[in-house]
Amino acid sequence: MPKLTITANVNGRKISRETQPFSRLLDFLREDLNLTGAKEGCGAGECGTCSVFVDGTLVKSCLMPAAKAQGTRIETIEGLAKPGSLTVLQKAFHKTGASQCGYCIPGMVMAATSALRENPNADIEEIKERLGGNICRCTGYTKIFEAVEMTKAILAGDSPESVLEEDKVGDSYIGANVRRLDAPSKVSGRLKYAADIKMYDMLQMQVLRSPFAHATIRSIDTHEAEAMDGVACVITADDVPGNDGFGVFVHDQPIMARGKVRHVGEAVAAVAAEDVLTARRALSKIKVEYEALPGLYDPSEAMKPDAPIIHDYAPDNLIKHIPIRKGDIEKGFAEADIILEDDFSTQQVEHAYLEPEAGIAYVDPDDVVVVISPSQNITHHRHMLAEIIAKPINKVRFIMSPVGGGFGGKEDMIYQGMLALGAMKTHRPVQLNFTREESLIASAKRHPARIHYKMGLKLDGRLTAISFDMLSDGGAYGMSSEGVMRKAAILSCGPYKVDNVNIDTRAVYTNNTPSGAFRTFGGMQAQFATESMMDMAAETLGMDPFAIRRINMMTIGATTHTQQTLETASLDRVLAAAETASRWEKGAPTVRGSERRDLCGPDTRQSCTLGARIKTNHNNPRFCAQVA
Amino acid sequence: MLTCDTYHTPHSLAEALELWSKAPEGSRIVAGATDILPWARDGRAGDVHVPELIDVTRISELDGYTVQNGRVRLGAGTVYQDFLTEQTLMRYLPCMPYCSIWFADDQIRAQASLTGNLVNASPAADGTPAVVALNGEIELARLDGEDIVRRLIPVVDFIRGPGQTQLTKDEIATAVVLDTAQGYGGSFQKVGLRRSLVISVACAAGLVKADHDGRLFEDVRLAVGGVGPRPIRLLEVEQSLKGERISHDLIEQVAQAATDTVGSRSRQEYRREVIVNFVRAAIEDALTNQPNVNISFEDAREEHYA
Ligand SMILES: Cc1cc2nc3c(=O)[nH]c(=O)nc-3n(C[C@H](O)[C@H](O)[C@H](O)COP(=O)(O)OP(=O)(O)OC[C@H]3O[C@@H](n4cnc5c(N)ncnc54)[C@H](O)[C@@H]3O)c2cc1C
Ligand code: FES
Ligand code: FES
Repeated sequence: MPKLTITANVNGRKISRETQPFSRLLDFLREDLNLTGAKEGCGAGECGTCSVFVDGTLVKSCLMPAAKAQGTRIETIEGLAKPGSLTVLQKAFHKTGASQCGYCIPGMVMAATSALRENPNADIEEIKERLGGNICRCTGYTKIFEAVEMTKAILAGDSPESVLEEDKVGDSYIGANVRRLDAPSKVSGRLKYAADIKMYDMLQMQVLRSPFAHATIRSIDTHEAEAMDGVACVITADDVPGNDGFGVFVHDQPIMARGKVRHVGEAVAAVAAEDVLTARRALSKIKVEYEALPGLYDPSEAMKPDAPIIHDYAPDNLIKHIPIRKGDIEKGFAEADIILEDDFSTQQVEHAYLEPEAGIAYVDPDDVVVVISPSQNITHHRHMLAEIIAKPINKVRFIMSPVGGGFGGKEDMIYQGMLALGAMKTHRPVQLNFTREESLIASAKRHPARIHYKMGLKLDGRLTAISFDMLSDGGAYGMSSEGVMRKAAILSCGPYKVDNVNIDTRAVYTNNTPSGAFRTFGGMQAQFATESMMDMAAETLGMDPFAIRRINMMTIGATTHTQQTLETASLDRVLAAAETASRWEKGAPTVRGSERRDLCGPDTRQSCTLGARIKTNHNNPRFCAQVA
Repeated sequence: MLTCDTYHTPHSLAEALELWSKAPEGSRIVAGATDILPWARDGRAGDVHVPELIDVTRISELDGYTVQNGRVRLGAGTVYQDFLTEQTLMRYLPCMPYCSIWFADDQIRAQASLTGNLVNASPAADGTPAVVALNGEIELARLDGEDIVRRLIPVVDFIRGPGQTQLTKDEIATAVVLDTAQGYGGSFQKVGLRRSLVISVACAAGLVKADHDGRLFEDVRLAVGGVGPRPIRLLEVEQSLKGERISHDLIEQVAQAATDTVGSRSRQEYRREVIVNFVRAAIEDALTNQPNVNISFEDAREEHYA
């Protein structure tokens, strides 16, 4: 293939470098020039982690063929300020705390820089629009907008540069505005995430994934792939030397599918090759013979006697059942004046951390297998991997690279094992960077839940009994299901005093994408049902929703339904704060929609519009708040 | 992943047409690459190898625009961001800024060409209804021996279905030619899953001209996208408004009637409801956006026009 030579001015220096004719500008910057501040969060123009300036215009470098950069002037995050210094905007990001995991931040800084270059007087609506192509999953944007507005004021001379300095901390750090220690490394793009790290002689891994949800693997033929130029090794479950199996609670998941696949996207084989393209081409040469099995996709089907069995160890497809009993449920419902009963369901949710899974493994000179990855659970991973690769624990090392967002989704060891096997088989460093699509298909999700709820109350609003039955779709592997079910059970009835409770939470196996840890760990699904029930109870009884909660709230000395006596309790203060902040219109929640007087207050979010800059150009009043 | 053997960057149209006519089977034209790169990913076309990619963005003949005899000729190099930065285009093509502001984001708009959007022929493309409302035509060029020959096709006919156009082998699109609509109010409606970076579930473009006093509809142009395999111009709605006294009731009435002209891909009920709201909003927004005219509704609603 004829190579392409790109001559351009990059961050003020002239460069001339060869690359592939099909390289994207992002590849050229990251791989050929080692400028890793621009990241690949999605590779499809959706996230903005790859934003750079080309001839002064901000572009998404994942959507730009490198050839288009010929003869241009490119500016990346690395070139905004002199080495060792930060621009005013970068300092403002540091000051306002506008960086958490930091993965979006180089792109965000670029987009904000562009917004202020394009229009130094942009108002907040226009700033938001101009940052619209960049996603952050951590900060909630408020601090980012604060940083941009702070910069705008400094650049306009409306605000002194001293506002960038750290606030003085008084007697206590609580309530003080403390700057993050790691922010400068993030706002400057210097911080190296796993995909940004390069090692000498490193191979690239790609993974062959199952197109079937449930199938027996009859055979895997890797000969042709192995024979390809540039392929260093192909690995399958056969390469696992020890006891194959990992999981946060039950070790039911093999490093790669062993004998059968249990969900679409499950890893079946992996190739380590000189570059990603060769590895991908080798994948297409691996022949896998599958024999489809009946699939199980609905959790309520899973416990039926004739349901397909997904794991031999669990013929009833049950991952975990957590029962909690307190008081006498029959008596509680008998005492009730009214009984409310309803069903709730929640959906699968993807974490969508901006950093797709990535990692490197190598075998060091002392035969220690080292894995670098943004794992949220390195110690546990280390112990599991030692078993799997049959090594003593002192021959396995895990290094946690900066986590570009995890939210629970990086607790599962879904790829570190493959990396270790690749490194052991080749004795070369091996890197695997997931694509966004791969991250979506292979990583755990929030448990979809179905909850049957029964609540007994007195006419004065007091709860007499709650029966809470939650069935969760655990997907193909156990992962964190057990813990999630436990937390859901503990939090199920909310912070309310109930003498008689019957709680069951169950997670079952299906052939859906595995469910795992996700912020709140099952609490959110449970609270959605409980708090909805409380509102419905208030409406039925003609009570104010805050009042019914105050009547039932746990106070100091209350015994939770898991028999813990509370020494502190703050629900009264939480309710008071929420009531004030929401400007709640007192009374039963029977008034809805535009009739309510507590909607559309000064700090509520207005409905979506765009066009702040068109309005400015035409000076034409558009009517806002079109709620169709 | 999109791979190729050779990436060409021709600087003249003749050179590009020459390369294109000789390019091996499977080769592709590239403009902004904002459709073609995401297309070659898992879940869509997957890994694709093409022999040659021919980039048309450095061809000087395709740059810029001209205005002549009531028509604007946009070179194929015109990108969506131009409709937000070029004052002349904003004035002559009043629905385009609204279409653009809802299109992707600033960064993608700086690359994404209107021509690429039309040639890609997605039923959800935002540019299509706006161009159709402006009586748009697309100009296609090919080599005939040494000569460059061109033809113009109305965009409503050019797009034959999802991903299907009348572009023939060896042809390159060189321009989009539109009515000038100076003095009209323009508008664009879009529903998708979020605000930025989202492909339309359905969209609509409007152009309205009221008389001096803001009392009568002089001209109305409406087109909808995302509701069928091809763009739809709502000619009946337009006719039933022309010359009429401007009122909310009339707008409501024609909006209700508009749903019957709409054959939908999927989620029919939802799309029908959307169309009613779109037609109404497209007309009302366009009226509001008309420069230098204060609209007087026969049945004025105080809260909106205080
Ligand atoms: C994140 C994201 C958001 C998006 N949002 C929107 C949106 O809101 N609305 C919307 O409508 N679209 C959207 N798109 C799709 C895309 O950006 C548009 O369709 C864009 O206008 C395509 O133009 P391009 O120049 O990038 O085309 P390219 O990708 O370069 O080409 C598209 C097709 O047209 C052909 N082509 C291009 N130019 C010519 C020519 N001169 N002659 C012949 N053939 C040609 C190419 O061969 C290719 O088949 C989005 C895309 C992304 C990635
Ligand atoms: S937008 Fe380029 S990587 Fe996401
Ligand atoms: S800080 Fe923005 S994605 Fe984490």
